[in-house]
Amino acid sequence: MADFSVRSDSVDVEQIMRQIRARIREKRGVDYTEAELQQLANVKLDKFLDPRGIGSDLVDQFRRHRVVSPEPPKFVFEDTTLYDTHRGLLRTIRKILHPILKLFINPNPLIHAMHVQAQVNAEFHRRFRQREEMDPLFYEVIHNLVLEVTRLGIEVHNLKMRTESLSSRLDFDERRGRSLEQVVQYRPGALQRPAGATGQTPGPSPAPMAAQPSEGGRPPAGVPEGGRLDGGTGPGGERRRRRRRRRRRPGQTMADAAGASSAPHGATGPAGSAGSPGPAPADGESDGPDEGASDQ
Amino acid sequence: MKIAVAVQRYGADISGGAELHARYITERLARHAEVEVLTTCARDYITWRNELPAGDDTVNGIRVRRFPVSRPRNTDDFGRRSQLVFERRHSMADELAWLESEGPTSPALIRHIRRVRDAFDFFVFFSYRYPHAWHGARAVPDKAVLVPTAERDTAAGLSIFPAVFRSVRALMFNSLEERALLQGVSGGPIPGVVVGVGSEIPERTQPWRFRKKFHVKRPFAIYIGRIDENKGCAELFAFFERYAVMYPQGLDLVLVGSRVLEVPKHPRVRYVGFLSDEDKFDALAAADLLIMPSPFESLSMVALEAWALGKPVLANGRCDVLRGQCVRSHGGLYYETFEEFAEALYALEASGPLAGPLGRSGREFFRRHYTWPVIERKYLEMFDRLKREPAPAHAVPLPGWLARRRRNLRPAREIVDAVPRGPVVA
Repeated sequence: MADFSVRSDSVDVEQIMRQIRARIREKRGVDYTEAELQQLANVKLDKFLDPRGIGSDLVDQFRRHRVVSPEPPKFVFEDTTLYDTHRGLLRTIRKILHPILKLFINPNPLIHAMHVQAQVNAEFHRRFRQREEMDPLFYEVIHNLVLEVTRLGIEVHNLKMRTESLSSRLDFDERRGRSLEQVVQYRPGALQRPAGATGQTPGPSPAPMAAQPSEGGRPPAGVPEGGRLDGGTGPGGERRRRRRRRRRRPGQTMADAAGASSAPHGATGPAGSAGSPGPAPADGESDGPDEGASDQ
Repeated sequence: MKIAVAVQRYGADISGGAELHARYITERLARHAEVEVLTTCARDYITWRNELPAGDDTVNGIRVRRFPVSRPRNTDDFGRRSQLVFERRHSMADELAWLESEGPTSPALIRHIRRVRDAFDFFVFFSYRYPHAWHGARAVPDKAVLVPTAERDTAAGLSIFPAVFRSVRALMFNSLEERALLQGVSGGPIPGVVVGVGSEIPERTQPWRFRKKFHVKRPFAIYIGRIDENKGCAELFAFFERYAVMYPQGLDLVLVGSRVLEVPKHPRVRYVGFLSDEDKFDALAAADLLIMPSPFESLSMVALEAWALGKPVLANGRCDVLRGQCVRSHGGLYYETFEEFAEALYALEASGPLAGPLGRSGREFFRRHYTWPVIERKYLEMFDRLKREPAPAHAVPLPGWLARRRRNLRPAREIVDAVPRGPVVA
């Protein structure tokens, strides 16, 4: 609608019609380009309609029915036909005697009936011919429909595949997200490890701890004002230790695991698991969510 | 001034286009002159059966004289003769027989016109294609004014008519396209002026009354007229059903008028039957636009009424007259294909940018050309001019008995097809 340019009340109908026609042309162009139309016109039904695949004998039926009927004899009956002859004299005599004939019989209804019959025949044949001429058109229409259905089928198939791909990517992203959540959540654990285990400076780093939410999203209960968290005592500390044990891989020592979980202090994301023996990103991506899931 | 109006049918309840046109003009001229109507006893335009009593009558204060039709129409005979003169080489006798076969044939009416020719200043004949106009105009050529109400139909190509067009004092055309058609078939200029007809537009309409009475809630386009295939309704239905699929939130279609063609059962197509003038104008005022799908019109009065109410019109572009009126008035759009129909209908919705300006242009066009003072003035000026100018001698005589029977005339269809198509843009 916004395409029409109307300046106040000075409308020009012919200009509007030109705009409408341009829009129609434009729409057609969007639906089918000239090349596509050409392609549609050239491609035959047989190419798309495989009777073995679809279970239809449409093509054969069309072929069977495309027969041209023979021309029926043409019969024209006018008011002069009864008296017609190639002999001019005889025709004149008949015309002269016509009033006498009308004394005995009335030929007008006969003439009228025959005339109407001739018209009916002509009309019937015309319609029949029209129908025959329409058959190839129907063939073409069906052909184009099959073409479109095939095209839509392919499109639907592609869309299904895209949907599957998207859902698997979404699934992956969810798992990755959970994995990252786990990594951040276990940062406090790194504070509890023995000071000499990694050779790093022992002692807590209270500021991040205070900001870290608990599982329920609230600030962790029992965090002292000074920010020191006693992870080694109490039920919370026991639970974390259990988790840490579960996360430890075969062949991985407690110290390794602690080193891995402390890494995020300096690194970001899954790269924090670089201290583990396996390939870092893969491990971080695949193992994390499973662990998180078991915890929740 | 005394004026006789001769028309094939006449009555307050007769609503054919030419007949209504004749009644409106008669009632308006009666304010300025003494007017009498000469007509037949027929009511039905298919059979021309004598249904009204012969003799004097009064319709809306106008004196009406009715004359009996000599025989009803034989449709088979008429069809056969039409086929002959429209499609094959034929003679003038064939054309005259066609004219008699078409009807309404009323020798008493023609005799009366001859008898009272001196009692009237002018005889205004409506509809060129009927015997009363052809014989009547030949009976009083020096006083005859013809309102042809011609559409682009094949009968216009018959050779018996151009002589009448040239012999009458003036023709009152409905549109520029009608004049171009009749000049085309006559092979040269013919005297006359483009006038048209006005309409009784109510001072105030109440769209909500129509919506309430007929429970119409959604916005709609309206068609007013006979629901008939000849009026393009079959194509309209087919197009609208496709449009409804394309625009599920688009306009509904409301149909008003007598029904000859079956109306499709569609949730967005509503047939409300034949309406009184009050309801009709309320409906028109409630509509977003008027659709005129007819391919043959000499002047669409309902289109003029829509413009008078400031409603745009969507017309069949294959009808030269409607298309020309839309182009000249800037009051409507036209279509020839479904794509154009759908786009134009969408563009003309009241909420769109076109409906307002087009409606206003249409109203201005109506006000300038089709209000009653304008129409009356054109008629009266024409009568004044004809009074001042000398009348031509006689009607063109018919050829002799043998010449009339010579089959040397081209089919009427060929002649009409040879006349250039398209709107006349002044």
